[in-house]
Amino acid sequence: MGEILSSFGVTWAKLIAQVLIFLIVYSILKKKAFGPVMAMLEERKARIAEAEKNLEKTRSELEGAENRAKEIVAEANAGADRIVEEANATAQITADKKLAKATVEAGNLRSKAQEEMELERQQILGELKGDFGRMVIEATGKVSGKILTEKDQEKINEEAVNQVGL
Amino acid sequence: MIQEAAITSAFGEIQPLLGLSIQASELFGQEGIFGFFTNSILVGLVVLGVIWFIASKGTKEMKLVPSGIQNGVEFVVEFLYNQVEGIVGEKVAPKAFPLLATLFLFIVIANWMGLFPGVGTIGFGQTTGPLTVDSHDPNFVPLLRPATADLNMTLGMALCFMLVWIWITIAELGVWGFIKHTFGPKGGLTGIMGIGIAVIFFVVGIIELVSILFRPVSLSLRLFGNIYAGETLLHTMGSMLDGFGAIPSFLGSIALPLPFYFMEILVGVLQAMVFALLCAVYIKLSTTHDEDHEH
Repeated sequence: MGEILSSFGVTWAKLIAQVLIFLIVYSILKKKAFGPVMAMLEERKARIAEAEKNLEKTRSELEGAENRAKEIVAEANAGADRIVEEANATAQITADKKLAKATVEAGNLRSKAQEEMELERQQILGELKGDFGRMVIEATGKVSGKILTEKDQEKINEEAVNQVGL
Repeated sequence: MIQEAAITSAFGEIQPLLGLSIQASELFGQEGIFGFFTNSILVGLVVLGVIWFIASKGTKEMKLVPSGIQNGVEFVVEFLYNQVEGIVGEKVAPKAFPLLATLFLFIVIANWMGLFPGVGTIGFGQTTGPLTVDSHDPNFVPLLRPATADLNMTLGMALCFMLVWIWITIAELGVWGFIKHTFGPKGGLTGIMGIGIAVIFFVVGIIELVSILFRPVSLSLRLFGNIYAGETLLHTMGSMLDGFGAIPSFLGSIALPLPFYFMEILVGVLQAMVFALLCAVYIKLSTTHDEDHEH
């Protein structure tokens, strides 16, 4: 065995030297390459997992926010509809009240005006009766040439008014 | 030192082959404190430097979003880890990965180092001109020799692996577990059949033990043989037309080895893969619990 090995140039010194070189390479790679790279890969994996988790969280938060926004919009819409309805109802009531008031006022004004007109008419009619009676009495007095008594005047006046239809 | 074999080709018996010595050459003589320092150790140190440089450069100021050399280093490490994990499993991978990845990277770079011009051809010997030496000179000592074309290196790596293999196996199975795993009967038979099976498995266990003891030999000789043969092939092809005049010799030294360079690039990575894969498979075989087989 020893002879075979020495024919290949294998000696303890050379073997140990080569083993040392290999072990140094092993140490360098383990310390400078495998360690840092594996640590970096682990860190990257952890970061990706964390990012995924955050993404999921953000996604669910966004979904919640969207739902909340939809709820708020729906609530706002419902509120707005209610306000509009209320406003419409209030406006209707107000309009009705105003209309009723206006109608009443118009009715009052009308009846007042009618009363005034009637009063004025009666007054004019009274004056007219008086004037007409006096004119008839005067005309009758002048035509007959006699002085009319109170009683005659009253009778003539009544007949004239009845004939004219005042 | 130089192989003085002669070949007979279509050109007839041309000359002794420029073959690579089967042994690495001592650069400072065989005696003295640096008697161990061979040309393959020198290349081994160069490989060490290259790996140190790339590893340092690739992991200096690492960023979460990788770029440049960090990207390459991360790709290689992650790829190798996934391969190792795929073979030895999730549990053993963290223990086995550093050694297996080091084996692969060191071997592949050391193998490809042999393809650089000057490796095996620049050296000390009988001068034939101001800058040239007679590479057929038996005393020619190349300055550089692929580290894996030296049995000291391949055997050293195989022995390192075996030590780690023993550690991982004992850590996973325990001493008794390993003995049971190697010699214990499988199949759960009882009675006469069970005794027969037990005897058979005991004999199989002895064979298995012998095969385990031969693993460092097979691992180291396979790698050494392939790389040494590749180097010899390149040198032989390069010197095929020596002696046919300056121009044919020059052209021949370029054209003839060229196809084999591509092959050696492939062989370099293939042998590294074979070495590392076999080591991974050995770990897998010894760390697999028997109950796992039954499932």
